[in-house]
Amino acid sequence: MNGRALPLEGIRVANFGWVWAGPVVGQTLAFLGAEVYKIESRARIDMTRTLPPFAEGVRDPSRSLSNHACWAGNGSVTLNLKKPEGVRLALELVAKSDAVIENFGPGVMEQLGLGYESLRAVRPDVILFSMPAAGLDGPLKDIRTYGLSLTSTTGLDSLTGYLGGPPVPVENAFSDPYNGILGAFAILAALHHRRRTGAGQHIDYSQQEAVMQMVGPAFMDWTLNRRVAGPMGNRHPLGAAAPHGVFPCAGEDRWISIAVLEESEWRGLVEAMGAPDWASAAGFASHASRLENLDALHERLSEWTRRHDDRELAARLQRHGVAAAPVLNVADLLRDPHYVARKTFIEVRHPLGFSETIYGAYVKNSRTPALVEPGPAIGRDNEHVFRELLGLSEARYRELVGTQVIY
Amino acid sequence: MPEGALAGISVVELGEMVSAPYCARLFADYGADVIKVERPGTGDRARAWGPFPGDDPHIEKSGLYQYLNTGKHGITLDPATARGRALFLELVGGADVLIENASPRSLRERGIDYASLAAVNPRLVMISITPFGQTGPYADWKGYDLNAFHLSAAGSRYCGRPDQAPLEHGTFAADFFGAVTGAAWGLAACLGREQVGGGQQVDVSCAEAIAAVFVGGQNIGGYAQDGKFERRTGVGMPLGAPATIVPCKDGHVWMLALEPGQWNGLARVMGNPEWMELEMFQDMFARAQNSDAIYPLIEEWTMTRSKWEIMERCQEAGVPITAVFDVAEAAGHPHLAARGYIVEVQHPLLGALPVLGPPFRLPASTGRTGMAAPLLGQHNARVFGERLGLSESQRAELTAKGVI
Repeated sequence: MNGRALPLEGIRVANFGWVWAGPVVGQTLAFLGAEVYKIESRARIDMTRTLPPFAEGVRDPSRSLSNHACWAGNGSVTLNLKKPEGVRLALELVAKSDAVIENFGPGVMEQLGLGYESLRAVRPDVILFSMPAAGLDGPLKDIRTYGLSLTSTTGLDSLTGYLGGPPVPVENAFSDPYNGILGAFAILAALHHRRRTGAGQHIDYSQQEAVMQMVGPAFMDWTLNRRVAGPMGNRHPLGAAAPHGVFPCAGEDRWISIAVLEESEWRGLVEAMGAPDWASAAGFASHASRLENLDALHERLSEWTRRHDDRELAARLQRHGVAAAPVLNVADLLRDPHYVARKTFIEVRHPLGFSETIYGAYVKNSRTPALVEPGPAIGRDNEHVFRELLGLSEARYRELVGTQVIY
Repeated sequence: MPEGALAGISVVELGEMVSAPYCARLFADYGADVIKVERPGTGDRARAWGPFPGDDPHIEKSGLYQYLNTGKHGITLDPATARGRALFLELVGGADVLIENASPRSLRERGIDYASLAAVNPRLVMISITPFGQTGPYADWKGYDLNAFHLSAAGSRYCGRPDQAPLEHGTFAADFFGAVTGAAWGLAACLGREQVGGGQQVDVSCAEAIAAVFVGGQNIGGYAQDGKFERRTGVGMPLGAPATIVPCKDGHVWMLALEPGQWNGLARVMGNPEWMELEMFQDMFARAQNSDAIYPLIEEWTMTRSKWEIMERCQEAGVPITAVFDVAEAAGHPHLAARGYIVEVQHPLLGALPVLGPPFRLPASTGRTGMAAPLLGQHNARVFGERLGLSESQRAELTAKGVI
């Protein structure tokens, strides 16, 4: 604890979320002070707990390094929901919770005996947050997608790729953390409503619709001009900037991003390049002509950037008032001076006895810095939740562990 | 219509382009009272960006601006002038939340940084969303969405072909990510003011949020321990197959058949070709090892079918394959129509204008106003007159001086 109150202290959340999106909803609330328990089971271990690499190379569901940062903040209790006694205990936890999170398909919570009506019966003002792929109703409600392919149903994938080429897949689910964080906003809005009115509700969060908001700019072009955008590389999404792209630098797979939207920025760029003759030629003299000759402009610029170190060049361009930054890779993240200064990544000691690096408070709250804990060992909070919170006797608790209800 | 979930929360937005405006739109979507402050004369720079009907630039017709600013009240005010600053402080003095994306330096120069604002309103939550954040060596760097996105390593790791440039997603992905991050963290800070003893600044760096949660989450622990890291491959999921975007007769499909049930389902839909039954192709990892052989065989089939046929038949067979919707197909899909996702607002110049509605449904507290984005300075009289008590002649004087 950091010795002071956090904004969401006193809010308790039961998180049935799995894989990535659901756990990030819980994490966001937990970083801000909520008490969040992920409900999972050894009867069906979450796939993300089984992904390598593992801490010190020891394969174990509580040691997956790729899982821990994504789940950090969530507590963990184990309940086998295939057993009626497991569902009963889950409902007891819900009765003591303000909000419930789930990211199954529509109807799965009902099949488990944990549908909205069942939850309301034990907790009348409960907020149930459901985040199926395409919402709780409508013709596509049962659509099957993975996190990384969900974007295909929003139009976003159709915009991603090299100019004029086919769509290039994003190799992980950008949607999952995006929806995880925006999902926390949805729950907080419902909490505000409950505070004013006393009423809970069942939030219908369609991941498709939430992600499609990012397609809004292209959607408006379709609405206004019936133009259907395609993959646009690193060009400005509204064609309002020249140059605007990622350009090669010295070294293997080194690049710099440069975006010029204003005349003053163009002048700064020309100055930084040492005012080469080509830059003052008619084809590049005005914003309109630069847009018209964008390919040629990018070609010229690449010839210049490829002779320079990405970081040095970014710093130099910044001194000339040009928006430029190095294009980082994963390794760079850990040593980039900006992320080091902002403590974006932190090394923590896991209660199981190993050290691991996870992301820390990636948002800086001036009064209440976020509380970041290592990812949860499976069943970490069983004793606390079942004995203290739900008041099971030692004997009953042991029995439920023995019969693999608490499992 | 019941009141919106965020009714009673008063928000001031000093935002331009995408990040802060979208964050403030999320508050407006769910019933908060949002006043957007724009530069006199030209307004939010998004007004100059389009897309415009017929590509004809007009300050009141930018599609981007319309989309990001529905449901808000709009005023013009220049906080760089002494009188303008005083009015801005008065406005923020009565607000719960300020959402802004100005550079930290420009806030200091105008005397409207967090310290100055907290002095007049200690309960203020100031959500600052910038490419790089308020602190750190790049805090005063100039940056746009593209710069922030690529500083996160998202492109290097996850998007693009290995021998070509890393890619942004074809939209303002970093700005949107920063916006939702600011909304969640900022609303929590707002709701928790009683128990933490007041307001605070919520410092969001778009680059950092993506670097941490999207890229760092699954990569940084392994890299820190083993010193190994991955880069983009151009293939959706290089370790399993099939799992990537493949072409079909009329576009593309997201081809996914990893688990045995999915692979068998795909085989059935494809008419059980013999090669799919081969022992060596029964495991997703083995298939990925042989992807050079697998993908051309699958494409041979997809190229004879439409994306909708492939999606429908595969989904029926329990295989999570989807069509790659283009923007028009996404916008016109019956599913979204049935859910009422796209809403129409009435704009004085653009008429009935379809825009994407709120991102999620709060059934007990919808409260969308249906208001179009404000004309430049549309609510000056109301806000400066009714809220701040300026007379008509005072307003006229300030207008003449270019303050409002």
